[in-house]
Amino acid sequence: MREVLTMWRHTKMVVLVALTAAVYAAILIPLKGIPLIPGFTEIRPANVVPVVFSLLFGPAGAWGSAFGNLIGDFFGTLGLGSIFGFVGNFFYGLVPYKLWGKMGPLSSGQALDARSTRQLLEYLLVAFLASLSCAVIIAWGVDLFGLVPFGVLAPIITLNNFIAAAILGPFLLWLMYPRAKRWDILWTEIMEPGEISRAPRPWVGAVLMWIGGIGGLVVGVAISTGLHAALPFQFGTGTTGLGVVAGVLPFLLLFFLGCFLA
Amino acid sequence: MNLFLYLDRESPVHRLDPRTKIFLLLGSFVAAVLFFQPGPLLALLAVLLLYGAVGRALGNLRRVWFLLLSIALISTVSWSVFARGSTPLVWRVTWEGLRYGIGAAIKIDSMIVSGLIFLSTTRTEEIVLGLIRLRVPYQAAFAFSLAIRMVPTIIGTALAIRMVPTIIGTVVTVAEAQRSRGLDLESGGPVQRLRSHVPLLVPIFLHTLRNTDQLAKALESRGFGAGRERTSYLEIGFHVADAFALILAGLILAMFIAIRFTG
Repeated sequence: MREVLTMWRHTKMVVLVALTAAVYAAILIPLKGIPLIPGFTEIRPANVVPVVFSLLFGPAGAWGSAFGNLIGDFFGTLGLGSIFGFVGNFFYGLVPYKLWGKMGPLSSGQALDARSTRQLLEYLLVAFLASLSCAVIIAWGVDLFGLVPFGVLAPIITLNNFIAAAILGPFLLWLMYPRAKRWDILWTEIMEPGEISRAPRPWVGAVLMWIGGIGGLVVGVAISTGLHAALPFQFGTGTTGLGVVAGVLPFLLLFFLGCFLA
Repeated sequence: MNLFLYLDRESPVHRLDPRTKIFLLLGSFVAAVLFFQPGPLLALLAVLLLYGAVGRALGNLRRVWFLLLSIALISTVSWSVFARGSTPLVWRVTWEGLRYGIGAAIKIDSMIVSGLIFLSTTRTEEIVLGLIRLRVPYQAAFAFSLAIRMVPTIIGTALAIRMVPTIIGTVVTVAEAQRSRGLDLESGGPVQRLRSHVPLLVPIFLHTLRNTDQLAKALESRGFGAGRERTSYLEIGFHVADAFALILAGLILAMFIAIRFTG
């Protein structure tokens, strides 16, 4: 994850952080009035921005997503959840570029504007894990402080993120990639190879990220809803204690480790 | 229409150093997460409303009342269903769960109110300068500040804060160019007019992107990133009022901590 810090040496990357944040916030803000879980999430077509801009602008897309979400919160929903929103959206913008091309046979190995079925599949996979990891981080944080149950928030954020990124993302990516390449603003063309972390076996990191993300969501929802202890065809009893926090934490750590190794 | 929540008024809270207000905001979050019972959280909310009244910031509550009400409702319902309890009321809802949900609702609303007071009494420039003085790297603070300034231009609302004239020019130029190609932006109902603006978005968006290189060069030609120490036109500093506010807030927080751990 060295590039997350070294990118700040490049003025162009700093401008791309601002641009990503501004675009993200600008699309978020008008739709603040249509909340899904008031104070925590709303209808967000803007969620396409972190995924697409991550693939184009790399770490600038990650920082921009984090700042953009925080700026969005400046329009009436600034609270403790904003801290986890910052972290969650940072990883929402980090996962796509970290994972791209590192999923072995699931990666297309093609340029971003290839418009092939394999590339679309790879795009959907990275968008899904990015959506999921953002949801798990935010839901874990707000459950830790007893604000919103993990079982309510995590699935909604996952779906909300993924639907926007899956429907709008491919078109936006195909539209923007050739132009960004022509204008020399792709992150891989701005940053020097020595400034970017190169893992010897990035697929190990990718596997850990998948296990951490999916494991965190499944375990968190199971504990939060009481599903883990429920009898068939009956509701379980949920929890207000630290069960979710303790259950999800190992998966979150695994996910973070994966990000470092990918 | 002002997009941002800042209210340009004279008040003791407006005059506080932004770092003081950041600490007060974080302190209110700490106090809120100490409790799950509605009683102490209502006391905290009362303290925050008093703070907001001193800062003449409560007018902004009108802008978020629906949000606060929705939060209260959703939080109470969701925790009532999810939380464990031993005194059944109806279906999965228990008395303990309901009480926990009401507590969570007041807790979240308290935090939103605290954030609202902070944003109503602190200008964006002050927040950014406060972050820089708190050792947030200048580049990151600059990107944050630049993004905030760009938001209204992208939304298309020119009245909120300073505009970047070139981007306004872009919008006008693109709109004129599209009109010359036969795009009708004026006729039809609201939905039709909204749809007819969609063709404007792509060129505006791409034009903004294309300026990235020029903006970066302009920044570097003005010495961006050249020196470690930077001066600022806006000056901030700690004064007696800041010390008083921090001591008072510290005492109130200590009182809440004492209540939490002594029952």
